[in-house]
Amino acid sequence: MKTNYDLIVVGGGVVGCAIAWYLSHFELDILLLEKELDVCEGVSKANTGIIHSLSYLTPGMIKGDLHRRALLWFPRIEKELDFHPLVTGALTVALTDEEIEYLQSLKAIGGYEDAGILGPGEVKALEPALNDKVVAAYFDPNAAVVSPFRLTLAFAEGAALNGVDFQFESKVTGFISQRGKIEVLTEKRSFTSSFIVNTAGLSSNHLAQLSGDRVPKLQAYKGEYFLLDKECRFLTRRILYPVPTEISKGILIAPTPEGNILAGPNFELTDADDTGTTQSGLDEVRTGVRKLIPTFPFDQTIQIFAGIRPTLPERDFLIFSSQKHPGLIHLCGIESPGLTASPGIAEYVVDLLVQKGLSLKEKNHVVFRKAFPIFHECDWQKREELIAQDPDWGQIICRCEEVTLAEIKHALKMNPPAQTMDGLKRRVRVTAGRCQGSFCEMHLPSIIMDILGCDSHHLVKSGKKSYLFAGETKKVVNIHAALH
Amino acid sequence: MPHCIDADVVVIGGGPAGMASALSAWNHGARRIFLLERGSSLGGILNQCIHPGFGLQVFGEELTGPEYAERYIKQFAHTSVELMTRTTVLDLTPSKKIMAVNPHGVWEFDSHSVILSMGCREKTRGMIMIPGTRPAGIYTAGLAQYLVNVEGYLPGKKVVILGSGDIGLIMARRLTLEGVDVEAVVEARPSLSGLIRNYVQCLLDFEVPLLLSHTITNIFGKERVDGVMISQVDDCWKPIPGTERVLECDTLLLSVGLIPENEISRKAGIPLCDFSRGPFVDENFATDMEGLYACGNVASVFDLVDYVTLVSERAGRAAAEKRARDTVKYWMTPGSGAGLVIPQRIRQTGDGMLFIRPNQGFREAQIHFISQGKVFDRKKAPVCRPSEMIRYDLKNIRWPEEGGEVTVEIAGNPIEGM
Repeated sequence: MKTNYDLIVVGGGVVGCAIAWYLSHFELDILLLEKELDVCEGVSKANTGIIHSLSYLTPGMIKGDLHRRALLWFPRIEKELDFHPLVTGALTVALTDEEIEYLQSLKAIGGYEDAGILGPGEVKALEPALNDKVVAAYFDPNAAVVSPFRLTLAFAEGAALNGVDFQFESKVTGFISQRGKIEVLTEKRSFTSSFIVNTAGLSSNHLAQLSGDRVPKLQAYKGEYFLLDKECRFLTRRILYPVPTEISKGILIAPTPEGNILAGPNFELTDADDTGTTQSGLDEVRTGVRKLIPTFPFDQTIQIFAGIRPTLPERDFLIFSSQKHPGLIHLCGIESPGLTASPGIAEYVVDLLVQKGLSLKEKNHVVFRKAFPIFHECDWQKREELIAQDPDWGQIICRCEEVTLAEIKHALKMNPPAQTMDGLKRRVRVTAGRCQGSFCEMHLPSIIMDILGCDSHHLVKSGKKSYLFAGETKKVVNIHAALH
Repeated sequence: MPHCIDADVVVIGGGPAGMASALSAWNHGARRIFLLERGSSLGGILNQCIHPGFGLQVFGEELTGPEYAERYIKQFAHTSVELMTRTTVLDLTPSKKIMAVNPHGVWEFDSHSVILSMGCREKTRGMIMIPGTRPAGIYTAGLAQYLVNVEGYLPGKKVVILGSGDIGLIMARRLTLEGVDVEAVVEARPSLSGLIRNYVQCLLDFEVPLLLSHTITNIFGKERVDGVMISQVDDCWKPIPGTERVLECDTLLLSVGLIPENEISRKAGIPLCDFSRGPFVDENFATDMEGLYACGNVASVFDLVDYVTLVSERAGRAAAEKRARDTVKYWMTPGSGAGLVIPQRIRQTGDGMLFIRPNQGFREAQIHFISQGKVFDRKKAPVCRPSEMIRYDLKNIRWPEEGGEVTVEIAGNPIEGM
């Protein structure tokens, strides 16, 4: 097994995968280490999924600069990774005259010619469900939404296609510098490399400490969300932001690329591993959401969840070189807008690496990712063609999201593959719909076991200990054989 | 090009409702009949219900789910009804064009009549918004039933069940028989949601505790469930502070209600009823859109499969006979004490049935039929409960001469506790 690499990325979130993908354009041996069984298992998996436009960047901060740089990357992401954000536009809603002043500042920051401030009549014409008390709104047609899983997976798949190795269940336990190289210790084995990028999300600060560096204390802030049934898809077609508070963008409402409606998040200090929702947190989100849409149909909720933001007291990204290990770079405090900024962060980190002596030689040939078809999004002619190629395309497993057997098999075979129920859900949306798996989860074990070649006691939801079944039922025995 | 088919009757869903309506359509003269089922065999949810208790009304004997299904599956051998399994309907237009797919391709049906019999689905943890973590080990009771009875897996070793609906009660017994510890059945209402016979046969006989007026207010466990917080609730189902306690378990089963599956009905633009959560239907289970029928649990969740069969046979017959329909004479709505009334429209009172679901338990109940502020008929029931629909033959109600809106009210002495 290969243990020596030119560069190792620690952390398979959206930033780690973006860095791996970007660097896979160059003649480098790259390894990505992830402690879980899949990419996108931490901070990246639970957020609003918004590609915030320039109007929403924070001037004068690193995160603002990387946000700006990142947006220049999306045309290339669309071309090379066949990944396409859904441009919805956004309205920032002022409910009092005092709030209008803030809208002016958005216009100044964004500098978009096609953005502007609308009066209440125009706003209500665009989004009739909005609060009648709206006095004005800043309309920016450039904001977009993505599936955070699918963006992370697009980076990961793009990286894998261009030779990046992935090692899962590889929790990093320490770093040792020797003879100009760094040894990265994991629970199972160690790897060596000259350059290491620590982008472990909620664990970044801990890893930085392990490496002997001083870092500010991590503050984990929880954000809770409601996800609505697709029947509500026309509740709002645009992202609805409130005027933000001092500490966060506030509780917003956004359509998802798949047609659900997402509402949240609140902003509550908690422990880094506490992803549980609470009654008080959900109530806080309800109150915030009703300011934007008083008739918000909470009875159409199909799931509630919480995500964690790794923040630092300065409320900015902190990207710095290790004092102890030359070649090691730490990324801490990658909170909002980390998803949007991920390609910009990658570019910035690579610049730093080059300064530290990483030499980049472009590959002669870079493989572009071609997205696997999504049956639900295909027209009838395309569906017909797909079924003619492979009958598995005609076998719908998940009725709510119209996911076919062909897509599920592909998710289990692609690189990196789905190894868990959540991994399948994030790749192809099986169990992600309104029945939340009540009608399809039972069909998945046999497909997974068949393709991954594992037993039923190895089936897990996400982590290694999240087993699905505690055993098998009693079997019919042959009474005669048992008696003799 | 899709396979294009002209049909007299297309039935969507091959569970008890779909089978009964397709067979009834055949028996009443329809010939080009297609039964579309997304599973690999007919029978629907009956196939996972290996317990007895089915068929007392229709066959006068007690059958298991698969046995009940078999009675209907066998009958198809004597018909030319086209059975299409592994076939999923993805679209239905107001003009009754159906788009479906299966491993053989894309199918387009143009049908004179369409019978919707998609059944219902279970409410999930997300829908009822129980706070807490999202570990493995949270299953709807019906999913757990399939996993145990069809796939042969045990969902866990130590289980708490939320909701005293019938599937939850049945699963309490089924899991106990498999050696699983069922810690408790937790029910937010002050009374049982499921049938009394299931309480006796599934909980009492197996000494499974039932905690009425309790609910689950938190779920614990990072990777796998390791416990739930339960609290007593007040009359408004609000948790009472200070009554919280933790039940250790590795599995949570949810049996908290069923919702008719009407996504396809919505695509066709069929008007739906807020009470039943299914299409408005008449005594033949015809929807408000001509040629479109909805029968069984897609119209309203019934407590017995036998009722599903009986109403579906009416839909199949009406779909086959293609008679011009009369105008609606009575418009039924539930009044105080009643949760729902089905059918909501009545054109002819000659035959057909009326189902009424009480919204709470009553003793010495009086059921009042009210038109224009006057009670025109009243019936008595010694006991009625939300878990058991009250059923009348339409012909046994003394309907007023004049049509119009009819409200059904139930009054009586409320039942406290069981």
